[in-house]
Amino acid sequence: MSAFGRLSIRGRLTLLYVALLSLVLVLYAGGAAAFLLRNLREQLDHRLNEDVETIEGLLALDNNGHIHLMTENLDEDARDFQPHFLEAWSGTGSVLYRSPQLGEGDLGAPPTPAGNPGSIGQRSIRLADGTRVRIVGRRHSINGTPVRLRLGLSEEPLWREFWELVSALAIGLPIALLLIGSTGYVVARRALRPLDSMAKRAEKITAERLGERLPIGNPNDELGHLGRVFNETLGRLERSFDQLRRFTADASHELRTPLTAIRSVGEVSLQRTGDAEYYRDIVGSMLEEANRLTRLVDSLLTMSRADAGRIQLQYSEFPLLDLAKEAASVIEVLAEEKNQNMSVEGDHGVVVRGDRLILRQALINLLDNAVKYSPESGRIEIRVGSDVGEAFVDVRDSGPGIPAEHRSKVFERFYRVDESIQGGGWGRSWAVNFGVGGPCSWGAS
Amino acid sequence: MRILVVEDEPKVGRALREGLQAEDYDVTLAPTGEEGFFLASSQPFDLIVLDILLPGRDGVEILSTLRKRGMRIPVLMLTAKDAIEDRVAGLDAGADDYLVKPFAFAELSARIRALLRRGKPESPVPLRIDTLEMDLVTRTVSRDGQRIDLTAREFDLLEFLVRNKGRVVSREMLAREVWKETSRATPIDNVIDVHVARLRRKVDDQSRRKLVHTVRGVGFTVREEE
Repeated sequence: MSAFGRLSIRGRLTLLYVALLSLVLVLYAGGAAAFLLRNLREQLDHRLNEDVETIEGLLALDNNGHIHLMTENLDEDARDFQPHFLEAWSGTGSVLYRSPQLGEGDLGAPPTPAGNPGSIGQRSIRLADGTRVRIVGRRHSINGTPVRLRLGLSEEPLWREFWELVSALAIGLPIALLLIGSTGYVVARRALRPLDSMAKRAEKITAERLGERLPIGNPNDELGHLGRVFNETLGRLERSFDQLRRFTADASHELRTPLTAIRSVGEVSLQRTGDAEYYRDIVGSMLEEANRLTRLVDSLLTMSRADAGRIQLQYSEFPLLDLAKEAASVIEVLAEEKNQNMSVEGDHGVVVRGDRLILRQALINLLDNAVKYSPESGRIEIRVGSDVGEAFVDVRDSGPGIPAEHRSKVFERFYRVDESIQGGGWGRSWAVNFGVGGPCSWGAS
Repeated sequence: MRILVVEDEPKVGRALREGLQAEDYDVTLAPTGEEGFFLASSQPFDLIVLDILLPGRDGVEILSTLRKRGMRIPVLMLTAKDAIEDRVAGLDAGADDYLVKPFAFAELSARIRALLRRGKPESPVPLRIDTLEMDLVTRTVSRDGQRIDLTAREFDLLEFLVRNKGRVVSREMLAREVWKETSRATPIDNVIDVHVARLRRKVDDQSRRKLVHTVRGVGFTVREEE
């Protein structure tokens, strides 16, 4: 991970927008400086053009063919033409005039005769002593003699002004950035402070203490949203942990019964001596309990897989009445043994979509219970129908029914109403509704 | 018939060896994956019973290596985990059949017989025992020459028991083979018991020699009483 990646979010945020801001400010300052430089040059060029026209009027040719600058004609104000750099060249390339300020230096190579574009118009050059000079070249004629003029003005004041601006910007910019950066850091830290308190609280949350929730500052901002989602996740976790705990407790309770039986049967049989038949019977009895255990473990496994959502339902469409008849035909024999009357009726046109095997299993379980809890010569009526788009199988037995206070718990696993409860008459009524996912409900009469 | 049993749990291994020896198989027991692999690749066997969870080298690995070497012998896989993925992994590796632990020994022995018989024409079993005769074409049964009326389910039940005469069949096998219940979770043990009781009344009540026997804790068997 890079050094940047190791920074905190607020550090990274601050760094990022300081960098972005510096880029923008530097571009802006550069633009402003360039604009200033151009403006100043334009002003200088304007002055040069004006001055060259003035100077043209001041030039005079003497008898030796030398040029003189008649500054004595000028008024007081214009005397400061002096610092101008001026050169006059003849058409053949010899120097006719050179202002004394130039000393031994010059304003560039001799102009070529006619049409050297470099010798006409403005350009910037650097004198031998390093002074930057803006010069303008002109064609001119004095008393009919063609003369090339070059007038130069020092650019130094212009550059001084430019550098003043640049240095002002160079000092101000880092200060501004520092100010913005630190303010940004403080703001970011304040905005992210709820995260710290959330992290502190989250550290205390363990599997045993899932009841804790994260504090939520502003439920409408991103952090509040995060906290809310996290709290909802915690809620789901807590519920599934509770479920798991209950499941483990139930399972160990259920497993204990056959285990106790195996153990006591074995122990008791070893305390006495019997014949082969006796021991055969004991082993058989222990095997029966082992079978019970096997079945229990199987259903526990199925349940935990169902809880984990790992059971793939195999959907198909089939007439519900066929399923009910099939389930009844399996269980019927048990009813016959108790002289019970089992009947199936209903609408053959009710077609449902669902996992046939699982529904069949559920129905067989239900009918098995109906037979088990109905008295001798009782009645078990199975009715298939549909109501407002929902198919149902209605199983009515003549058992004791489920007391009202137990009804809400009917769908809990391993739930069994105390078997000693006795009652008579038209007891339980079950309606198993098969929706797409198979929601299950029941009504009691 | 030589059978190699690769099983690390000593109690289970010994029980399997004893049980299979009682059925006249020549049984070699390998308590580790390595030993099992060594034996399987160095000695000829007719069938291998292979536990999937073994210390060191697990069953799936051993099996796929054996198959890669071109060994064709039938392999029955034992798996403790009742998970689809396990079965798929086992069958992918080349197992011919699998059995989920805990299993009934009767079931194991039936699967082994089926695997050893595989590919060979089924020897016709005379559906006759003592004075009981079954006719599969007319679906009629007689005892001592007297015709017995059986329901369709009772007939299928009797047929399965007679085909496996002399051997114990578990309720689970009956549920699967006669009732076609694929899930172990469907509670039809009571149903099976009632049917067997009725069958016994019809077949044995009029006769001195009983044929249908209950083996407590295991299942049922049809055999002539010694």
